[in-house]
Amino acid sequence: MIEVQRADFVGLPTQDLERAERFYEDVLGLRRNPNHSPGWPEFETGNVTLVLTDVAKTEQEFSPNLGAVALRVPDVAEAMERLRAAGVEFDFEEPYDSSVCHMAFFRDPDGNALILHHRYAPYRDGSTP
Amino acid sequence: MADLGVERADFVAVPVQDLARADAFYGKTLGLRRNPNSGERWVEYELGNVTLALVSPEAMGPDFEARPHQMPIALRVADVEEARDKLEAEGVQLDGEVIDSGVCHIAVFFDPDGNTLQLHRRYAPFADGTTP
Repeated sequence: MIEVQRADFVGLPTQDLERAERFYEDVLGLRRNPNHSPGWPEFETGNVTLVLTDVAKTEQEFSPNLGAVALRVPDVAEAMERLRAAGVEFDFEEPYDSSVCHMAFFRDPDGNALILHHRYAPYRDGSTP
Repeated sequence: MADLGVERADFVAVPVQDLARADAFYGKTLGLRRNPNSGERWVEYELGNVTLALVSPEAMGPDFEARPHQMPIALRVADVEEARDKLEAEGVQLDGEVIDSGVCHIAVFFDPDGNTLQLHRRYAPFADGTTP
């Protein structure tokens, strides 16, 4: 067993770094990490860093990330409308209600899965997000 | 800008085909804390700052096909070499030796479903002089 201290970042593959940068910064409105290494743009979700990785720098075939990053927003329906106005398409017309949270499933321009997420129900132990 | 008011990342989904196998890997092999609010079909592990949610056929239905993360989720450890040796002794699939990027040590490895993970330790200060 090893001792993991935290997640330093989550890598997201892209085939068009500039397009991806515009999406994460201008459309999603995430803060750019000014300390990023050249060519490896980083965006902050608040608790964890997303690193955009140009697959051309690796020896791999591009494969979009289908393990979604769930972004917490105060109001999923409202955030959905704002993203729609910016040209983003969603998998479903309305927010999906899982009975504990609202979710809206979408993709970034490379097809990486993202979710607008807001849990409204308390957890089993009574705590709330 | 859309100004969505993103507050944080609630979880990062990790696609897995065999939930029991993944549960053992993240819990026993990696030693992560299992979120006590996990259910039978939806299992979560805590990295301290963010949650990993194991997404499986149990949660998504029998037709679910896990397509693994190509790019890594980087796990911060005190000593990459030492942690890599421990994982190797546990039979974990590793991608080569420890890499020194010039600012950090990295060891890439895979979970049983092929999701890319890495042991990560930045040793150099950032551009603004701060340290991780």
